[in-house]
Amino acid sequence: MRMAPGSVAWLLRHELRLAWFNASGGKEGAGGRRPGNAAIGLALCGWAALHLLAWVAVSALAGVAGDDPRILLAISAVLAGGAAFMLSSAIKSSVLVLFERSDLDLLLSSPLPSHSIFTVRLAGVAASTAAVYLFFLAPFAHAGLLQGQWRWLGIYPGVISVAVLCSCLAMLLTLGLVRVLGARRTRVVAQVIGALAGALLVIASQLHALSSRDTQGRVREMLDGLLRQDGVGDLPLLLPARAMLGEPLPLLLLAALAAGVFVLTARRTHRFFAHGLQLAASAARAGTARATPLTLRFGRSLFHTVVVKEWRLIVRDPHLLSQVLLQLLFLLPLFFLIFQRADVQVQALGAGLALLCGSLTGALAWVALSAEDAPDLLLVSPASQRTVRRAKLAAAIMPVLALVAVPLLWLTVRMPAAGPIVGFAVCGAVLGAGLIVFWCGRPGLRSNFKGRGKGGFVMNMLELFNSLAWGALGWFVAGATRAPLSDAGALAVTGSSALAVVVLGAAWLLRVRRG
Amino acid sequence: MIEHPPALRLAGLRKDFGRPAVDGLDLVVRRGEFYALLGPNGAGKTTTLRLVSGLLAPDAGSIEVLGTDLADAPAAAKARMAYLPDEPMLYGKLKPFEYLEFVAGLWGVHAQEAEPRARELLDWLDLSRHAHELTEGFSRGMKQKLALAGALIHEPELLILDEPLTGLDAVAARQVKDLLLAHVAKGGTVILTTHILEVAERLAQRIGIIRQGRLIAEGTLDELRARTQGGSLEDVFLQLTAAP
Repeated sequence: MRMAPGSVAWLLRHELRLAWFNASGGKEGAGGRRPGNAAIGLALCGWAALHLLAWVAVSALAGVAGDDPRILLAISAVLAGGAAFMLSSAIKSSVLVLFERSDLDLLLSSPLPSHSIFTVRLAGVAASTAAVYLFFLAPFAHAGLLQGQWRWLGIYPGVISVAVLCSCLAMLLTLGLVRVLGARRTRVVAQVIGALAGALLVIASQLHALSSRDTQGRVREMLDGLLRQDGVGDLPLLLPARAMLGEPLPLLLLAALAAGVFVLTARRTHRFFAHGLQLAASAARAGTARATPLTLRFGRSLFHTVVVKEWRLIVRDPHLLSQVLLQLLFLLPLFFLIFQRADVQVQALGAGLALLCGSLTGALAWVALSAEDAPDLLLVSPASQRTVRRAKLAAAIMPVLALVAVPLLWLTVRMPAAGPIVGFAVCGAVLGAGLIVFWCGRPGLRSNFKGRGKGGFVMNMLELFNSLAWGALGWFVAGATRAPLSDAGALAVTGSSALAVVVLGAAWLLRVRRG
Repeated sequence: MIEHPPALRLAGLRKDFGRPAVDGLDLVVRRGEFYALLGPNGAGKTTTLRLVSGLLAPDAGSIEVLGTDLADAPAAAKARMAYLPDEPMLYGKLKPFEYLEFVAGLWGVHAQEAEPRARELLDWLDLSRHAHELTEGFSRGMKQKLALAGALIHEPELLILDEPLTGLDAVAARQVKDLLLAHVAKGGTVILTTHILEVAERLAQRIGIIRQGRLIAEGTLDELRARTQGGSLEDVFLQLTAAP
């Protein structure tokens, strides 16, 4: 189909094409590329498998009444969780659209009305948000269609409507943050909110496991009481669930609400969108001009100079810092669960700290060693490259060890035997992660921190196994301070120690030869 | 009288990227000289400078910087020169003094020399009033000037610049040119590439023209004019670089 150049449909096609390129992991607007045939083939195989799964599930659920309040409540809970995730990814997409796309200057300088550009951008955010969920849920709609269970077809309009609502909310939130905080801070705050929404959902999903038996009983009683009430199934809160189950009226209401909110958002906020873009552009150009007294420290040693420079660059980049620290946020729910079992707390602390510190060191080491902003400057200088790289490694390791020193001290005071042992596991994980990047890290762009994992599969695997090895070692050795190791435990200690050594050995063998 | 080695001596320099980028280049730049290296796009100017600065390793040939062989003693050679590429090598999250502090650290300049030198350079280049700002907010010209200050912080005997005036306004270009002339007046050597022929015409004592990785002409402006019966440097350049 030929589309008139400059039309909304034409622009939407451009937008969707960018989103498709972005699916390959390329940085949008900067060299994004189509996903490879292998990736497409893999996704299609996965989708076919999902269809099989959906076929079985839809068959099994054939006799379940769609208006059962228990079912509606369960679907509502899942929907609320899904909406939180959608909001999280829509916020990230909005930030991308507003701050990281490099084609907006071109579009806004063209004769296209800013209203059309904003509408299409908003539609693009909604489409990319909905696509992921449709990938997983559409097989159920297809299975329902083939089995003559029409209600499953509600998934399509239902998911799209919720995605549109979340995208509008995300865009309004992002633009609102620009107004309140300014463009520079918004980028960081919006990403933190987006990640928090996802992490909180993981924690919320584990509330059942985290809560005591009394609390679980009370919640069950409350829900039973609620479900016994007459007309609970007609509660307006359950309308989205009814819509997802294909009931025509709720579906129509949800779709109308989404369309109305989309039109209102596009019409009422497109001027603010343009204003937000200008702010973003000026924020990118303007440096901070705080008149703090300058502390000059010329004449430091090369090692010290490099360490200080790396720390300055990390601390002054809140966007990067938030990305580094947010990685850890997703590990926290895991520790909540582990800490529930009092009998394994020391082991959990040993394993958890080793995993966390290994992961944090890997991220910081990548920033310092691989994402050097001016590599040529270092190469044309007479400075010893070995000293420079060692200083960079130290710059990545030192903050992590300083950070972990407090909990380790606390542990040592409470359990003098466990503290040093956990400390050993943590130091091993930190040093291992740092050395893997030191030896195997390949140059990357600081701005591409999120995509750093796609650059080196081997290095990622080595980092993963390093963390696992030291985490396991931390778990078993810390446990040995409370009770003697069983034969299986001793075997696990030997195995994880061997794995840690093998990983480091492999990293050394695979090291990148430099200059 | 002691004969000092030249600031730069290239002998049979060769670098191949599938096709020869630098093809047996022989070049001598004397100490205290302002030398302009000209050539059409893709002639091998930038590759030559990157080879001299140690960013690329030559496939063949030798590079001697102030009498020191770059391959034998790279650190000793690099310590006495500075390289300024067309894209400034800066850190957006550092302030100007912090950047100079870092560069001075890389070259091992003592604090007693580095600090006053940094102040002097930033004053000269009119960057002192931006001392509290991060360089990410600087204009192209300001970035170029700061990078130049970084290149001069250790008072290099040989300064190599690739298109140093690209994107600079008239005032900034004048400041940079004055600084380069002052460097030569103090006995330093400057080698630059430029597409602005007027700059070469007005500043350079000798001009080398390369095409397809080879030096096709060299001399003072008058010598080049005499060779081609050309008028301005532009006429000379166009005649010499015209396809055979």
